[in-house]
Order: sequence, then structure tokens, then C-alpha cells
Amino acid sequence: MTLVKEAHRSRTATDPAPGQVAGKRAWAAATALRWTALRLLALVVLLAAWQAVVTAEIWPRVLVPSPADVWHAFVQASTVHDGVRGYSGHLLVEHLAVSLRRIGVGTGYAALVGIPLGLLIGVLKPLAVVLEPAVTFLRTLPPLAYLSLLVIWFGIDESPKIWLLVIAALPPIAAATAAAVRGVPGDLVEAARALGAGPGSLLLAVRLPAALPEILTGVRIAVGVAYTSVVAAETINGVPGIGGMIRDAQRYNQTDVVIAGIIAIGISGIVLDALFKGAERLTVPWRGRA
Amino acid sequence: MSPSEAARKEGDAARKESEAAHKESEAARQESEALRKKIADADIELTDVSVRYGTAKAPVTAVADVSLTVERGEFVVLVGPSGCGKTTLLRLVAGFERPATGSVEVRRKVGVVFQQPRLFPWRTVGGNLAFALARNGTPRAQRTSRVEELLSLVGLPGMAGRRTWELSGGQQQRVAIARALATEPQVLLMDEPFAALDALTRERLQEEVRTLAAITGTTVLFVTHSAEEAVLLGSRVLVMAAGPGRVIDEVSVPLPREPTTDVAALRGDPCFAALRAELAAATRRVVAA
Repeated sequence: MTLVKEAHRSRTATDPAPGQVAGKRAWAAATALRWTALRLLALVVLLAAWQAVVTAEIWPRVLVPSPADVWHAFVQASTVHDGVRGYSGHLLVEHLAVSLRRIGVGTGYAALVGIPLGLLIGVLKPLAVVLEPAVTFLRTLPPLAYLSLLVIWFGIDESPKIWLLVIAALPPIAAATAAAVRGVPGDLVEAARALGAGPGSLLLAVRLPAALPEILTGVRIAVGVAYTSVVAAETINGVPGIGGMIRDAQRYNQTDVVIAGIIAIGISGIVLDALFKGAERLTVPWRGRA
Repeated sequence: MSPSEAARKEGDAARKESEAAHKESEAARQESEALRKKIADADIELTDVSVRYGTAKAPVTAVADVSLTVERGEFVVLVGPSGCGKTTLLRLVAGFERPATGSVEVRRKVGVVFQQPRLFPWRTVGGNLAFALARNGTPRAQRTSRVEELLSLVGLPGMAGRRTWELSGGQQQRVAIARALATEPQVLLMDEPFAALDALTRERLQEEVRTLAAITGTTVLFVTHSAEEAVLLGSRVLVMAAGPGRVIDEVSVPLPREPTTDVAALRGDPCFAALRAELAAATRRVVAA
């Protein structure tokens, strides 16, 4: 049979010329540069407005420190000075690292439980009827509401903090997984069935990978939720920890440290989200293409 | 004539009579056996099948009382306007739908090729074939070589490592065909597999599938709305009408079906042109009615 011809012909047809690719890349780089410049400009405007408010002395300096004060607090918290190591014995990065570790472990456990749970909820209707309201119930609770319970049960060490983050991160993962599994195109399931796939391989070799892009989005959202919950988790005995640091600084009215901590959380959150998006592109390269 | 002689003659006649009767019954037996064998040989048998959709209050009859037999090695094409239930019939045979009444019997292993390739994007081209091979019980050690064999069969040798979305539509459909063949089906169900392809690719794939069926002796049930495709591919074409879906006409195609038949040349055959015209007229009547 002469089936070979088309394969070669269309390979060359779909690949654009090398010159075109270079041109496209340069154009994309210019665009990216322009957007970065816009972002920097917005940042400068924000800082100028902040400084203007401080200079006008509308509010006392203790409540609204200047950008320079916050920078100073940031530098102090990041260095060893006068024999003091950072803030309350730990550098800012150490506080941040401890919190990130809690977020990672909490979200990890949540994914470990939430993905299988979501798969089952998505496939088994009776399970969905029972567990879906429970997941929604859990999702609507503010973490501070169940922190007290966790402290009573698990004390004030590491475990209540991890538990809180697991409880906060689990619902978005389970909900996203269940929705994703239900949203798997029936066409693909049917094709797999026609190839002789049984219930087990349908779930693990078809539904799970087909749902993977949305599951990863669910995990990314869960990391965000864990991020917003970590300060709550660290309200009690939270040092070291970025949330604990902020709580501690609040007690002593160190507004500049509070703001430095908030900025550290925000920036690390942006970086982590970007890393996650990159990882998503690597693990599910077919997203939006098939 | 002595009494003994008369008795002998009588006996002779009786013997002859019984012999004749025996012969007759033998012929009847042979005939019924042939019929039974023919039925047993049929790969697909639909008997008075109806399919209904919609609610109990407002049921829609998609297919009404269709009976259809596909013999081993036949290439049967269902042709008709959209909404006539030809895809529904195919889905019945594939086991994706259940009939409201009637019976569906499929006696041999079925493979399906859909209108869209329906490849798994999270797997490579080879991975898609390996999935089918694994479901079919092919040992892991043999899968790689089988994948390469199947890809060569559909004209995509060396493409196992490619991502499915990197392929053109025609290449993707070739992979889909290879994936269906990976389970070694004896009956191939094809639902407008070339409808979404450009004309050149479609013609080439038509020729290849016809030759492939002739070589392997695979039974094919093929759905299309193109009279040309139906006549070119089918050994028998069933014309369907809508509202409710039913088979109203049958055209057998006496074009040669050897493994060596030059399918492209058939397009210029006067017999092909006449049959295509006949079938086109039949389908036009259906639409007008």
C-alpha cells in the first residue's frame, strides 16, 4: 500500500519557515518588554502615591510608615544586626521558608486525599450526593473558625497548622477534580470503551489524564487558598513563620514589619503561581490544543 | 406374473418411492443447513430494531423496525440524508445504544472508527496504539514492534513518538484507523470517517481502506452521506430514509474487489458512474419524499 506519501508532505506543510519564526519571536519579546515596562510604571506610580500620603501626614507615621521605613524593616528582618538575627531570631527568608513548607505539606496531603476523593465523587453518584455538600460546607468555612477546634484537639505545635491547611486546601482540589472528571468528553470515553477498556482503566487511563489539566488548576487554586490561610494557621505559636512574624509585629505596633511581611507573602505568591503555571504547561502540553 | 414376481415389483416401487422421498428430504435438509449456516455466518444481524429518544411524553423514533444482515467479509455502506438514523444503527452495532424493540446480534469482535479521530492527547501517537494493544492483551514486550507495524500499515512509519496534535487531520484519522485495527477486529464500524478531511486526503484514504478490507477480509459497516463514497467502497449499499429512520432501498455493487484492484481507476469506470448516478437519484428521491 502507498500510505507513506502524505505523511512527509504534510509535515513540511505545517512547519513555518525559519525566518517567520525568528520574526514572531522578536515581536513577542518586544510585546513582553512593553508590558513589563507598563507594570514597572504602575509600581512607581503606586510608590509615589504612597510616599505622597506619608509626606502629607494625613495619618500618623506609626499607622502608615513610608516606603523607606518598610524597606528598612525588610532589610533589618533579612540581616543579622546588633547581635539580633532578623526578626525574633529568624531571618525573613526563614520565616517565609517555614510557611512555604507548611503550605507545601498541607497542599500535598490535600492533593493526596482530594484527587482520589474527587475522582470517586465525579464517578459515583451516591458518593457525590453525600460528600458534595460536605465539601461545599468545608469550603465556605473561614479557617479561623476551625482553628480553635484544631488547637483543642492537636495542641499548638506543628500538627494543627498542617491540619488547618489540609482542610483549607482539600475542598478546591476535590471539587475541581470531580467537575473535571464529569467534564471529560464522552467521545473519548466512548472511543476507549470501543477499544475494550474496562471500568478500571477507563477511570485511571482515560478519565484521570483527561481531567489532569483542570485537576492541576484545582491544585494551583488550593495553593492560593493555603497561602491565604497560612496567616490564620500561624496566629497561635506561629514563630518561625511569616504569619507568626506578622502577628508578632502587630502586637508591638510594628506596622513597617507587618507591611514588609505582607509584601513578602504577596511576591512569593506571585512567583509560586508563575512556577505552577509553567509546571502545568510542561505536564499538560496538550491543554487547549486537543 | 407370478405372485412372487408381483410382490417383488411392488417392493421395488416402494423402494424407489422411499428413495425419492429420502432424496427430497436430503435436499431440504441441505437447504436448511445452508440457510442456517448463512445466518450463523452473518457477522451482524439486526432484527426489527427500533430506537427511541426523548421523553416518555414526547418520544422521537430515530429508527423504526430495521432488519439488516451483514455477512462475513461484506462491505456494507449505509447512505442517506442526515437524521435518517444511519449513525444510530452503527452505534447499536457498536453497543453504544440499546434498541427499544428488536434484537441486535454481533457475532465477532468489533472495532470502531469515528468521524473525529478521538485520539488521547495525553498520549503520543504510539501511546494511543499501545493503549489499544494493552486492552487487547498484547504483551508489553511486543507492543513497540506492533505499534511500528500498525503505523507502517497506515502509512505513518516512524511517527510513534509524535504528539497527536502535531499531525494533520488526515494523519490523525490514519492513527485512529491504526488504533482500531490494533485490537484486531473482525468487524470494522466506520462512521463517516473521512467527512472532515480535505478532498485529496479523503480520496486516498478511501482507496486505502477499500484495499485494506479486501486484503484482510474484514467485514465493514460504513456510514456516509456521499453516494460516490458509498458506491466506491461498498459491496452492498443500503439507502435509508428519515422520519422515522428506515432502510428503503438496496443496491448491490458488482465492481471488482480483489486485493489487487486498482481502486483509483474504478472512479473512471462507466459502471461506477452509472451506479453512482442511480444511487444519487435514489437518495434524492428519499430527501424529496
